[in-house]
Amino acid sequence: MNRESLLIATLVELADNLVDDYDVIDVLTVLAHRCVEAVDVDAAGVMLASPNGELQFVASSSESMTVLELFQIQTNEGPCVDCYKDGLAITNHALSEADGRWPLFTPRALALGFRAVHSLPMRLRGRTIGALNLFRTHQGTLTDDDVVVVQGLADVATIAILQHRSSLDASTLNAQLNNALNSRIIIEQAKGMICQSTGCDMDEAFNRLRAHARNHNEGLTSLATQLVSKSITAHDLDEWVKVISP
Amino acid sequence: MNVQRLLDIYAIMERLQREGAKGFALCTVAAEFTAFDGAGIALISDDDALTSLCTSDVASGALMELELALGEGPMVDASRGDASEDTDLRETTSSEWAVYRAEAVALGARAVFAYPIRLGAIRFGALSFYRTSPGPLDAQQSSDAYLIASVIGRAILAKQAGGSLVGLAEELDGESTLDFRVHQAAGMLAVQGTLSVKDALILLRAHAFGVGRELSDLAERVVTGKTYFDSNTGEWIDDKAKERDER
Repeated sequence: MNRESLLIATLVELADNLVDDYDVIDVLTVLAHRCVEAVDVDAAGVMLASPNGELQFVASSSESMTVLELFQIQTNEGPCVDCYKDGLAITNHALSEADGRWPLFTPRALALGFRAVHSLPMRLRGRTIGALNLFRTHQGTLTDDDVVVVQGLADVATIAILQHRSSLDASTLNAQLNNALNSRIIIEQAKGMICQSTGCDMDEAFNRLRAHARNHNEGLTSLATQLVSKSITAHDLDEWVKVISP
Repeated sequence: MNVQRLLDIYAIMERLQREGAKGFALCTVAAEFTAFDGAGIALISDDDALTSLCTSDVASGALMELELALGEGPMVDASRGDASEDTDLRETTSSEWAVYRAEAVALGARAVFAYPIRLGAIRFGALSFYRTSPGPLDAQQSSDAYLIASVIGRAILAKQAGGSLVGLAEELDGESTLDFRVHQAAGMLAVQGTLSVKDALILLRAHAFGVGRELSDLAERVVTGKTYFDSNTGEWIDDKAKERDER
């Protein structure tokens, strides 16, 4: 699929998702995947700020522990933190040993094979609510067009957080941020249960959860809540078969 | 993040601790920090009932009793998961909590705000505030309310894990609520020990305390299989072989 077709398909997919009672984490996961497909990056993820401004990972194109770890470090420092604080995009930042800007983040990212990072702010009427983070395993540049595309996807991600757009006062926005962040915690609790019950890794646990939610037209968070509250068990989930694209 | 506001909470905790030798009430911290007229905290028991943990003043106490007796109101709603508020109890257009509203006004409240105390799917309870004047919260007050609700959640977890509230501020200072490994480990432990995820998290916290490890370090060990809980013996096992493999 060329990029234009991909973007149109993404918009249609999101328009389809954003009606009714959609699951924020699921929509943001879709967006992260589409970022990876639309521009030349290897992993993408969204960090959201709590009402008090603490950044937390909420969705990514990869649920591997290594990628999650890179987001975890960024609760303290890293491109997301700077992007969130300044409300300004960081693009084409080459990672190198000599770079002292993020002393915790950079060595870990390099060790995991990443060579360049980008971070785009998620802005809403003057308030930055989080950042979209892109990782690349090779150096090189995102073009101006690429930046427009991913900033557009970051803007869509921002809209996705706001589930009830009738009112946008501080209380409503804080409640929605808090719910999105809490949803991620529920999903992590459920992932732990699935791993322990079925002996799979965390990546597969997430995929299984997500596949089951989609197959049965259920929200990801709602399904995870049922697992954690033990109304269903990990063994009730559909098998997940990894599809290797041609 | 807004570190200063967190430090402000710890400063209030430490001061109240110094003033009252036997510890302090979290509600007093909450009310003072947010500058509401009063605060109350209710906990959810295992059978899903709400009970009062503390209230900061006489009116908060009466509002708490009212909600618990009626089974309706902002705190009851918040305990089920969503923040709830009424910025003017006298001018409301909503038909919710009709009895509560009338009684709350009679007790002197004009606006009420309540927040869930939770960690993922674990529900600890709810934090509620009242004000004698109407009107919405500004952005700072709203953020402050979420922040104190999160700190209280961690304090309740620490308390239920057998910790003491004395020295709590110092302890909370070093840890994050947002470490995904802690939540994954709680999920794994719930299956290992046939526990609720809430009890699993409390157990994890208590063990971290007991062996003097950081919560996130212990969580990391559980997630990587280096430490597990044997439900038959009720013992924690460190898997030495797994550690050797990694070296």
